[in-house]
Amino acid sequence: MSSRREVIVASLFARDRASTFGPAVSTLVRGGDFLFVSGLAAVDPDSGERVRGTTASETRQILVNLKQLLEVAGSSLDKVVKVNVLLHSMLEAPNMNDVYARFFREPPPARTVCGARLPDDAKVIIECTALV
Amino acid sequence: MTAKLPRSAIEPKNPRLNVSRSANLPHVPGIRVGPYIFLSGMGPIDPETGERNHGPIAEQIRITLANMRHMLESAGSSLERVVRVHVVLADLADMPEMERVYREFFPIEPPARTAWSMQLRFGNGCEIECVALAT
Repeated sequence: MSSRREVIVASLFARDRASTFGPAVSTLVRGGDFLFVSGLAAVDPDSGERVRGTTASETRQILVNLKQLLEVAGSSLDKVVKVNVLLHSMLEAPNMNDVYARFFREPPPARTVCGARLPDDAKVIIECTALV
Repeated sequence: MTAKLPRSAIEPKNPRLNVSRSANLPHVPGIRVGPYIFLSGMGPIDPETGERNHGPIAEQIRITLANMRHMLESAGSSLERVVRVHVVLADLADMPEMERVYREFFPIEPPARTAWSMQLRFGNGCEIECVALAT
């Protein structure tokens, strides 16, 4: 039995650039019962342009966008099972966390946070896997 | 939902690409579970010699993705069935070159992807892992 693979185009994002990495990446891919969301950097959903701010403000923008993207795909923040957060500096983890905590209801998803060198001068990148 | 999903290890048809076994590392190249395949992080291993290729980054990416295709096809899947990719580069400055080669392998309806840079083992310039649908 073959599971369904479907690339979901989120037209509410100008040029579908929520991931910032261009068309070599699909932002949302459904495979079977799960939705795989690409690593998102902070993007203005109206202009499609990258937003450069603090770790806290980029986290907020990403999670606002993520909420919309999940809903476009028939999922929601409540259905997220795993989140990976990449930070440009682990010293910023508390700033990310304060914003992050406001987006998820109890019990929040499983999560990993790590510090890495991020493309496009992003301070934060967040990806997740969710149930559809 | 509670029915036990079958879980099995994936082996590449080319034994020189079974790096975890030849290097005696405590992991398998991949696991198939239910409708999914989870591949271990793969580095630039020359499929002819089994040695690491530390040539230009474009070459390393091309070898790694070709090996990923081989691994998936050995398990009855394909690059077209990949749903999520993680690309890790040793050098963030290699991102544009990675992007250029990556497109050759995923020309249409590419998978979800996250790419970043951090320290890699064995002097590799890249490490790539994926989740794919099995069939």
